[in-house]
Amino acid sequence: MANRFQLPNLGIGLGLRTSHYSSILERKPAVDWFEIISENYLRTEGRPLDFLDRIADLYPVVMHGVSLSIGSTDPLDRQYLSELKALRDRSQARWVSDHLCWTGVAGKNTHDLLPLPYTEEALAHVVDRVRAVQDFLGAPLALENPSSYAQFAADTMPEWEFLARLAERADCALLLDVNNVYVSSKNHGFDPLTYLNAIPFERVVQFHVAGHTDHGTHIIDSHIGPVSDPVWQLLAVAHRRSPGVPVLLEWDAEIPSFEETHREALRAREFIGAAA
Amino acid sequence: MNREATSDALGLHERASATPERARPSLQAALGSAPAWTEGKLGLRAQQSWFSDIVSTPQGEPAPVDEQSAARLVTPSATLSSLERIDIYRRGYHARLIECLLDDYPVLEHALGTEAFEALSRRYIARYPSHAPSLNYFGRHMADFCRTEPLPEPGFAADLAALEWAIVLAIHAPTARTIGLEDLGQVPTARWPGARFRVNPSLRILHSAYPANAYLQAYRQGRPTRVPAAQPTSVAVYRTGLSIWRLELEPTLVTLIESLAKGATLEAGLAEVQALLQHEPEHEIARKVTHCFQHSVSSGLFSEISL
Repeated sequence: MANRFQLPNLGIGLGLRTSHYSSILERKPAVDWFEIISENYLRTEGRPLDFLDRIADLYPVVMHGVSLSIGSTDPLDRQYLSELKALRDRSQARWVSDHLCWTGVAGKNTHDLLPLPYTEEALAHVVDRVRAVQDFLGAPLALENPSSYAQFAADTMPEWEFLARLAERADCALLLDVNNVYVSSKNHGFDPLTYLNAIPFERVVQFHVAGHTDHGTHIIDSHIGPVSDPVWQLLAVAHRRSPGVPVLLEWDAEIPSFEETHREALRAREFIGAAA
Repeated sequence: MNREATSDALGLHERASATPERARPSLQAALGSAPAWTEGKLGLRAQQSWFSDIVSTPQGEPAPVDEQSAARLVTPSATLSSLERIDIYRRGYHARLIECLLDDYPVLEHALGTEAFEALSRRYIARYPSHAPSLNYFGRHMADFCRTEPLPEPGFAADLAALEWAIVLAIHAPTARTIGLEDLGQVPTARWPGARFRVNPSLRILHSAYPANAYLQAYRQGRPTRVPAAQPTSVAVYRTGLSIWRLELEPTLVTLIESLAKGATLEAGLAEVQALLQHEPEHEIARKVTHCFQHSVSSGLFSEISL
C-alpha cells in the first residue's frame, strides 16, 4: 500500500553520523538513503554543510528534527522554520520529520523530547500547530511517536489514540518508531500490538528502528547497540500493514564502524522480506 | 612557526533523538521543598512550565517539588515513583548538554579532570541555559565563565577554552577559497604597494597569557601535559577546505595580519612590520619581511586580493 502522500519507498537507510563521514565519502557505499538530524546543519555556514552537500549529491536525504517543539505552548519559531525550509531546499530532502513532543517553554530549549499530556486541550493545540507548519513548509510534516518515561495524570486518551486523531485532523504524515513503541510499552505497561492496531498506516511514510537499554525498572531509548528481537518483530508486524514504507536505523551512542552499522540496518530485510 | 592541523576534531555536535545516559541512574530522586501546586487543574502551559522547571533543576539539588505534588501531574509506574520518572528527563537534560560541552572542550576536560569538568559544566548549564534550536553555539561562554569560576588555574583554563572555541568557530565559519603564492604571481609589480587582502573569513587570532596551543598540541599527540607557566602567545585558528589549522604567530606576523585585516594596503602593512624590526640589520629586515608575507599567504590566511 502506498502512503497517501505518495512519498517514495527509499529502501533501508541509516542515520547520518559524523564519525561515518569519511568512510562514506571515500568509499561511497551502496546505501539506499540517509537521514540527517536537521539541527546539526542549522546555524552553521561551514564544514557541516560542506559534508552534507557532498553526501546529498550522492544519496537521497531525509530531514529529521529535534527542535520543532510542536507541542510547546510557546509560539512557533518562524526563524527556525525558515532555516528548516532552506535546509530542505539545499539538501533536496525528500521529507521533513520531527517528534510528537515539546522541547522547551518560555524561550528555553531543553534539547530533550519532553512528553505531552494526552488531553483534548493538547490535541487541539498540536493540530493547529502542525497545520501551520505544513502550510509554512508547503509539504506534509511527518511526526514521530516518542519514547516516553512519564505519563500525565491529566491524560484522557492513550498515546496511540492521540497520534491517530492528530494525524487525521491535521492531515499529517507519521514516522512510526517501533523501538519507541516497544520502549514506551514497557515503561507504561501496554501491549505494543494495541498501539500498532490504532495506527492509520496509510499515513506512515517511514519506520525507525534502534537499540535501547533495559535498566530493569524502565527502558531508555538510548540508540545504543543492535536492535532487539522484539523490536524487529514489531517492525515485521508494522511493515506487513504498510509494505511500501522505508526503514531507517538510528545508532547514536558507542557508534561502531560504518560497515557494522550498515550491516545492522540491512538485517531489516529478514523481517520485511522482499518488500525491501 | 608551527602550523598544526586539527583534523581529528569534526566539531559537530551529534544531536539525536536518543536519550543520553551520561549520568548514572539514581532512582533515589531527591525530595524538595513544599509543592507550589496543590489545588485545581493546570492548563497545558502551566504543566509545561512546571515540568521544565523540574527538568532543568541542577542535578544534586532537590527537585523543586515533593513526591505528592509530582504525583498530581505524573502518574507513578509499576516500578518507578512519579518523581523518579520525571528524574529520567532531568538526567537526560543535563547529560545531553554536558556531552555537547565535552564535544567542544575535550582538552579542557583533560586539563581539569572529568569530575571537575562535569561540575563546571553543570554550573555552566544553570548559568547559560540554551535558547536556540541548535547546540552549535551553546558553549560560546565557556572561556569567560572559566575566569569567574573557582578553578585551580582559571586564566589557563580560560585560554584553553578560548582556543577550543576558536576551533568550533572555524568549523562553522563560511567556506572560502584561499589564495596561495601562485596567485601573487598574477599581480603586476607596480600594483603591489596598493594591494589589499581580505582575510580568510574563518580566521581568528587569539592572544593568550598561557601557551594553550602547545598544551593542546601535546594532548593531541599523546604527550604528557602539565599546566604551563604563563607565557604570552598568539595563535591563528582558521580553516582551509575541511581542515582546521592552528598557527603560532610571531609578533611580525600578528602585526601584518591584523593590519591587513583592518584594510591597510600591503605597503602600509609591511611598513608596520618593518617598524617592529627596526633594531635589526637592514638585510635581515628585508629577509624577515619577505618571509613573513609569503608565510602568511602560503598558510591560507587570505582569501582575496583586491587591487
